[in-house]
Amino acid sequence: MPAFPSVEWFDAVRHEFNTNDVVRTAGGGMCDAKVGVKAADRVFLLVFEGFECSSASEIAESDLGDTDFYLDMPMEDWADMLDNIRENGEADLDHSLNTMDLDSLDGLAHSYTGDQYRQDMFFRYNQTFQYFFDQSARVETEFREGS
Amino acid sequence: MADEDRQQRVAGQKTEVWERPRRRRTLNTDENVEVPEPSYAWMPRSLQWETRVKPGKAGLRIGDLNVGIYGEIPDHWDEPTRMPRGAYPLAGIPPLGFALKNKRDMWADNAADLYEEAIQRRWIAATDIPWDTIQPLPDDVEAAMCQLCTELSQAANVEFETIGYWLQHMSYGYHEVKLFLATNMFDAGRHHEAFRKRALSNGGGLGLESRGEINRMILESKGGWSETSLFLHLLRGTFLLTVYRHCERFANNPAEKVLFARAMQDKARHVAYGIQHLRYSVTHQQDKALIFQRLLFIGERVFTKELQDPAMLEPLAIVFGGGIEGARAGMGHVKRMMADWLTAYTSACEWIGIERAAPLSPDLAKYLED
Repeated sequence: MPAFPSVEWFDAVRHEFNTNDVVRTAGGGMCDAKVGVKAADRVFLLVFEGFECSSASEIAESDLGDTDFYLDMPMEDWADMLDNIRENGEADLDHSLNTMDLDSLDGLAHSYTGDQYRQDMFFRYNQTFQYFFDQSARVETEFREGS
Repeated sequence: MADEDRQQRVAGQKTEVWERPRRRRTLNTDENVEVPEPSYAWMPRSLQWETRVKPGKAGLRIGDLNVGIYGEIPDHWDEPTRMPRGAYPLAGIPPLGFALKNKRDMWADNAADLYEEAIQRRWIAATDIPWDTIQPLPDDVEAAMCQLCTELSQAANVEFETIGYWLQHMSYGYHEVKLFLATNMFDAGRHHEAFRKRALSNGGGLGLESRGEINRMILESKGGWSETSLFLHLLRGTFLLTVYRHCERFANNPAEKVLFARAMQDKARHVAYGIQHLRYSVTHQQDKALIFQRLLFIGERVFTKELQDPAMLEPLAIVFGGGIEGARAGMGHVKRMMADWLTAYTSACEWIGIERAAPLSPDLAKYLED
């Protein structure tokens, strides 16, 4: 069972995302963005190209400067969101990425370089990122602090 | 020589490279129809032939077509007709009198990509929103949501009417921008439709239209497209984006969740064009940043005055607070929303290159105090 956060876990979600045509419709679609994910002191890079999330890799924190924006929240909030997705098949009213962003004291989406335009991709492609994390409902997940 | 070569090919003299499409072989000749001898005079009229753009991983995108002369985007477009960029010019076409002939008047480097993005990410209000998840709400919450949707629907109406006015004044040399703005109009039409549907789908109805001073300011902005975009995309666009985000957060049901989430995506795209264009405008005209700064000084005050009208912020407080009883707490969240908007708005101003030398009006600045 892949542990969150890990490249193995993101690859499993990528597989679900890349093979589900539903994520291409109804507000989804092509997306070109480099998205960082910070969780449990680890940093990952998700590359979205066209209809796919083409790669997931672990990077150094200083590499976040290459991302358009990155998602960062405490491990208990990641676990809360992913548990909710698992239980409901998708995020419910209180666990969408936008809601988590607004409810988090420091926000969920950040720009490493302070570039407002690139950070706004979080909103422009929001449905794609939501579809991506919603696909984790089909991935058995265990949580490991600092895994 | 190249023209002769093409004419010969078309006339069938170089049959080894010219194969007629199969369907045409089945056409019958009707001897009773008088057919003038074809001249094929139009045939060699191309400034650049043999263009073969290949689709990439993302398909054949409008930006991919910018090859050779078709990709030469001049700073000034002299052609007064509807001639597409790269087409063969004809003499004697009466001028159409486009007001916007300079690239700096409308251009944004992201326009072609945003057009593709809009086409890709379109949604259908009739079927993509799970309308059947809407359940009866308390009267005060329903009334607040209906009032809010009345306002948002009207703002969308103003948006497509405003863009419709300006599109006809934009010269044809910058089709990427015209294409994107066509999708912006279509998106705004969909928002008008979707918010109206929400207001009329759960036992409520349309509310009142507020005084609409910001609507009027946007509609009557005739100084130039950039100035209109300043009000439409930067000032009001960032505001609406923030409202959509917070309404998604406080959605009463999945239908509202999806509605506001989709509108948020669209609005972020509109704002992306606006701030990219305004930055282009500022960097290509010496005093444009100062003009924008002065216009925003006026626009913010009109905006502030309109916010005194309770038709927008009070319904938001009730929606956020879950009813009139919670409206006081809800108004606290409205303050948070306004602070979020002002942060996004001033950050966008900074990204564009508009110095905020003049302070925000006190009625706006108060939202940033806490």
